[in-house]
Amino acid sequence: MQNRPSGFGNPWLQLGLSIACVLVSELLLKRGATEVAEPQSGFSWTGVNGLASPLVWWAILLIIASFISWLYVLRYIPLSMAYPLSRVVDVLVPLGCWFFLAEHISGLRWCGISLVVTGLALVARPIAKMEERL
Amino acid sequence: MSFPAFFFIVVSLVTFVAAQLILKRAMEFSATSGMSNRYFISRVVIGVFLMTISFFLTLGLLQRFDLSYLYPFQGLSVIFITVLAAAVLKERIGARLAIGALLITAGIVLVSMS
Repeated sequence: MQNRPSGFGNPWLQLGLSIACVLVSELLLKRGATEVAEPQSGFSWTGVNGLASPLVWWAILLIIASFISWLYVLRYIPLSMAYPLSRVVDVLVPLGCWFFLAEHISGLRWCGISLVVTGLALVARPIAKMEERL
Repeated sequence: MSFPAFFFIVVSLVTFVAAQLILKRAMEFSATSGMSNRYFISRVVIGVFLMTISFFLTLGLLQRFDLSYLYPFQGLSVIFITVLAAAVLKERIGARLAIGALLITAGIVLVSMS
């Protein structure tokens, strides 16, 4: 990891922004793709017909924003650390559904979430050591 | 799972993983040599092109399957990217990082199964 800027240029902050954009874009993509779904059409495997949904366009804007943040993150943080951390989004989606939408989370899903959180904690430890060395 | 579904899931995963490796290499290169050079621009263009393919294939898959059904394959990308970052980019992967990546993958699979 190279010497890195602070403030808004902090790569960890940019990683957080990238994750937030991905989180919202995934939900928008799913809703948008469902809106315009044509499962009987072979062409729809390409996904291009999804562009008919305005939600998909909003998702694309967020994906571009997350991509710019992600490129910045890649300049400073090893891919083998940044990418597993970015998958925190897989926990945030079901947790968001539970917290904001009062959806039920089964025992199996709680087990999965705790495994991801444990994995993230393990990945975060080498990062903390690396930060100490800098 | 039908053959087209399997095929498009694999192609979507492979193009996404390849894009991440190419973009990482490009951004590392830019840190020392700047962004106004052919090597950097060509790598970013290839990376964006591969991510675009992956995006549209995912959009096609989302029209047929639940997001939760497609989650485990996103989980696999954690393992692939961690292993390939070590093999291709020569990043050092300690035991903690390896176990952490495995747990994250297992957790994503469990979340999608529930």
